[in-house]
Amino acid sequence: MLEVSDLAVEIQSSEILRGVSFNVGAGELVCLVGRNGAGKTTTLRTIMGYVAPRAGAIRLTGTDLRGKSTLDRARLGIGYSPEDSEVLGELTVAENIELPTWTRRTEKSAHERIELAFQVFPNLRRYATRPGTHLSGGERKMLSIARTLALDAKLLLLDEPFEGLSPAIIPGIRHSVHEIVRLGRTVLIAESELQHVPDYADRIYVMERGEIVFGGSLEQAHCDPTVRRIIGTTV
Amino acid sequence: MSVASLNASLTTSIRHGVRPIQVVPVLGLLIIAAFPYIAGPHYAILMFSAIGFAIALMGLNLLFGFTGLLSFGHAMFLAIGAYTAAYLTSAKIMSLEAILLTAAGVAIVVAVPIGLLCIRYVKIYFSMLTLAFSMLLYSFLFKFYPITGGDEGLRIRLPTPLLFDLSGLDTVTILTGPMYFYVFGMLIVLTVLMWRLTHSAFGLGLRAIRENEQKARYLGVNVQRYRLVAFVIAGVYGALGGVIVAIPVGLAEPSIAYWVQSGNLVFMLLLGGYTNFFGPVLGAILFIFFQDQLMSYTEYWRLTFGVLLAVIVIFFPNGLMGVLDPRRVWST
Repeated sequence: MLEVSDLAVEIQSSEILRGVSFNVGAGELVCLVGRNGAGKTTTLRTIMGYVAPRAGAIRLTGTDLRGKSTLDRARLGIGYSPEDSEVLGELTVAENIELPTWTRRTEKSAHERIELAFQVFPNLRRYATRPGTHLSGGERKMLSIARTLALDAKLLLLDEPFEGLSPAIIPGIRHSVHEIVRLGRTVLIAESELQHVPDYADRIYVMERGEIVFGGSLEQAHCDPTVRRIIGTTV
Repeated sequence: MSVASLNASLTTSIRHGVRPIQVVPVLGLLIIAAFPYIAGPHYAILMFSAIGFAIALMGLNLLFGFTGLLSFGHAMFLAIGAYTAAYLTSAKIMSLEAILLTAAGVAIVVAVPIGLLCIRYVKIYFSMLTLAFSMLLYSFLFKFYPITGGDEGLRIRLPTPLLFDLSGLDTVTILTGPMYFYVFGMLIVLTVLMWRLTHSAFGLGLRAIRENEQKARYLGVNVQRYRLVAFVIAGVYGALGGVIVAIPVGLAEPSIAYWVQSGNLVFMLLLGGYTNFFGPVLGAILFIFFQDQLMSYTEYWRLTFGVLLAVIVIFFPNGLMGVLDPRRVWST
């Protein structure tokens, strides 16, 4: 589904990503794990088209994304849920979910896509008329991910979906993400804490200073000395 | 259940009935409809002009209130409407429908290239660019005397709406009678159209752009296209408003494109409240009547307007509709 090869990104003459390569297969859940500043968010933003790479290639189901704008990538089926959720505060929850159904036409009807978003995040239905500004951090995260479902995205990029949330809320969102994977969607999560990586993740890649230093299963990561040194294992 | 119906049903259950503010627009429209009967001809003609400004302002608010782009040059579209009426009536084309359609067409032809350039910029740069184009048009109208009549402008003869027999009627009777109800009908139709537009997927996209264009982009909103369409629609509303504003004056002159006129439009928008769908209509009416009254009392009316503008911006940033409907800043 997603192939990232030898990705190099420079921002203001600083090398942020250095030869980043990884793959995400169709229907897989893959996590990029690393400390703050490791380059996870930059990787997602580069895939989304916000940052132009100096070198390397990104392919979505074989299509080279080079030269494609963020809008083009969204319309190709990449859904993005940024770290700070970025819900549209002046729009209601229902409007936030409705918007992507208008901007990207797929074989699924708008009704189906909206219902799916509410099915995966049932709490949002109760707040349908509430403006985005009146939501808690957890509800914003849910709404942000629900919008990618309404977009009918093939690939979901979730940046720190569990960051800053109450431990009481995290299991609910983790369950919803699992539901999304079970629906056959491909998910790439950026996460700074290994303990937040869902145990149903197919593969994790550990990043350090703009490079991938480990790639393998969650179990392998727990045993790997490099991973232990970088992010520790508290699980 | 669609989101719209879900929204509606939940909203209804939350509100339990009609709020007083929801009656205000209906009451306002009834007052406008009855105005020639409850006020003298002078005030009815003032209302005629106010309707023209209200239509132009609805377009301006699509740009500013909904899309977040503040045009300081919207008066150029008023001028396009006024001069189209002048040219066509001087060419003995007296059909009001033909004038309105031509004005809308000219507005599209002008708005597309200007819009393509302006929408690449936001905030003060967009405002200044639109102001620059408006002043270019003003200079053209002022200097190209053989074509535009220069500072004397061009005369507009009273056009005739379709299905109306105006023979034998004097100008005041026409402007406060059949023509008044014609433009009132236009106000209703254009208000309904704008309501539908702003409550459609297109309106949702514009509101997303207003809040944050970057967010809108990754949700699939084609920001540049939406902005251009909003700019062109605003231009069409401006030109239609310009035709109506110019008819009672009977003259199209360069000052209609001058920056002061654009400033007046922004003032009207702030007065009525750009955060409410009906704010522009209220703003246009209040401005026109307040200006008329103030001018008859003092020669320092502009000074008073300046103070009023400062008071509105400081104490009532959402305009008078914001005062009437304080619970909802965006009652769109």
